[in-house]
Amino acid sequence: MHELGIVYEVIKIVDAFAVENNLIKVDKIILEIGELSQAIPRFIESCYPAAISETAYEDTKLEIITIPATGECRSCHEVFNIIEHRKICPKCQAEDFSLISGQEFNIKEVVAY
Amino acid sequence: MNELKIFSIQKNIHEDNVKVANETREELNRQNAYLINVMSSPGSGKTSTLVSTIKALKGEMNIGVIEADVDSDVDARTVMNAGAKAVQMHTGGLCHLDATMARRGIDELGVEDLDLVFLENIGNLICPVGYDTGAMKNIAILSVPEGDDKPLKYPMIFAKVDALIINKIDVMEHFDFNMEVLEERVRKLNKDIKIFPISAKTGEGLSHWTDWVKTEMKRR
Repeated sequence: MHELGIVYEVIKIVDAFAVENNLIKVDKIILEIGELSQAIPRFIESCYPAAISETAYEDTKLEIITIPATGECRSCHEVFNIIEHRKICPKCQAEDFSLISGQEFNIKEVVAY
Repeated sequence: MNELKIFSIQKNIHEDNVKVANETREELNRQNAYLINVMSSPGSGKTSTLVSTIKALKGEMNIGVIEADVDSDVDARTVMNAGAKAVQMHTGGLCHLDATMARRGIDELGVEDLDLVFLENIGNLICPVGYDTGAMKNIAILSVPEGDDKPLKYPMIFAKVDALIINKIDVMEHFDFNMEVLEERVRKLNKDIKIFPISAKTGEGLSHWTDWVKTEMKRR
């Protein structure tokens, strides 16, 4: 369980961004988390309130966009969800693929004024 | 009331960690110290592998070890007795070391008189691999009793390390561990990985691993 540390890191980055851009109030933070990321969205959500408690971000909302784990088959170039298809290409049944997305953990944007 | 607007940040959460890790690598290069990050599950023999490695190499170079442990300084004492300089970091409930924590360990250890430094990461096959510590090489240790199916269950670590030590080969006959199957599974994830079957206890195979360390240190 390392999500709390990650959430603190998110707040730190957002705070630096807010200062740099003279933002008065951050209404919402939007994260992009890949399905293969080491952070679990449910845990991020549950430790978020603890991280913002008694800070300038106490009223700031959190939105998480999940990015699917997609791979491209190295044999037939089919693009598929590798979790759903258990790493096996649904078109040609090959087991060799290159990962296209799913490991992201990005702070996408903030809604602020 | 001001109008709300969307501000794009597009920043990877690990960016700051990578920055700190790169600074650490630069500093280590300046001081001529080579850092190897050692990852494995608890009980695979990280400390005993390091002890045998230290004993094999201490005549040729000065070695340091940064031990990361939830509590106790048992490991630090053990590697010190083997002839290395060591510090123990108490990491409490943490499941991995990030670049900032690793840097703290390096600064505490002091690398100015060292050639080779091992960072003994927290025993965990999942989290440590996601964090650049500033090491020049990352290695994993898998021990025979853990089974040859670990690359199937924890692919990420096997996909990312430069070398894999298979420890405890002296007890191979008591386990259903198939080295060929293991190698095939690992190579599927990481075709260029170096694999060193060793016994930290008997010293079997150890020289292949220590030769690789020496070669890589010279290569940089």
